[in-house]
Amino acid sequence: MAYSDKVVDHYENPRNVGSFGKDEAGVGTGLVGAPACGDVMKLQIKVSPEGIIEDAKFKTFGCGSAIASSSLVTEWVKGKTLEEAAAIKNTEIAQHLALPPVKIHCSVLAEDAIKAAISDYKAKSGGKTEAAE
Amino acid sequence: MNQTPEVQNPGAEVTPCWSCKGPVAGRALFCSTCGAIQGPGNLDHFTRLGLPRRFAVEQAELDRQYFGFQRRLHPDRFATRSPREKALSQVQATALNEAYNTLKDPLKRAAYLLRLSGRKVDVESAGTIDDPQLLMESMEMREALAEADSVEEVSRHLSEAEANIADSHKDLAAAFAADDLDEAGRLVTRLKYLGKLADEARQRRAKLAAMK
Repeated sequence: MAYSDKVVDHYENPRNVGSFGKDEAGVGTGLVGAPACGDVMKLQIKVSPEGIIEDAKFKTFGCGSAIASSSLVTEWVKGKTLEEAAAIKNTEIAQHLALPPVKIHCSVLAEDAIKAAISDYKAKSGGKTEAAE
Repeated sequence: MNQTPEVQNPGAEVTPCWSCKGPVAGRALFCSTCGAIQGPGNLDHFTRLGLPRRFAVEQAELDRQYFGFQRRLHPDRFATRSPREKALSQVQATALNEAYNTLKDPLKRAAYLLRLSGRKVDVESAGTIDDPQLLMESMEMREALAEADSVEEVSRHLSEAEANIADSHKDLAAAFAADDLDEAGRLVTRLKYLGKLADEARQRRAKLAAMK
């Protein structure tokens, strides 16, 4: 199966690989897995006091499509509010990367990862950002 | 003259032989009247191989059962028979291979048992899991492997993964024996991740060995 140019680009030059300290202020961590493939994906966001995602990092052990999907999501979420980031749909990721049908679940994993990171951030901050608005 | 339906006995229902219309039990390979080979029927893998439906399976017994059935059903034995009989031996052999391949692999066998019990099996669906303990463990092991840069170091990770896999097989047997299907489901997922780790370690070792 041939990967699209965009997948290859993200796979060969992944953006924002790495980690933030889990307990750092403003950091939310999403850790999800696709057991059918044995993939594991960690996606972290760093949120400003105003509720804007300032930075994002990921670490994925999985196929090229899973790596590309998480890499793309870290690019997309930067500068977005939590609500905007939570609205990212796997279909947009799959479309942008031209994922074939058998790899759609990789984009679902990336969507689940950003959602998990957002809920982790909200749980940790105890809804402080909403209260400040 | 009370006839009880044998619902507890898979493959015991009687159907007419396709060739002579004589009575044939669903589990029978051949018609007892005319000797014609029958279709594979809708049997579970354990019944097909004549084994009790449980996780603990002796590899030697499984092999014995499989090769015994295979000898009787192999398409080569039907080369001079009618096209219908040839075709039936083909589907029988395919069904037998599928049963054997599922049951000989502990992970597949466990997943299959869970499915027979009506459980959703994570490793067979394309869903996402978020079990933090399992994923954290998996992430840490994959990171450690990615950082290992000598054949010796990678081999150490591989041995560790293989030991964890062997332990998980024991834990699975205990979970099934205690009828703890939640635990069995969790262990199947862990096994899948450990298997992936071991595969990656083997590939990495081969790559490092080739660079030497």
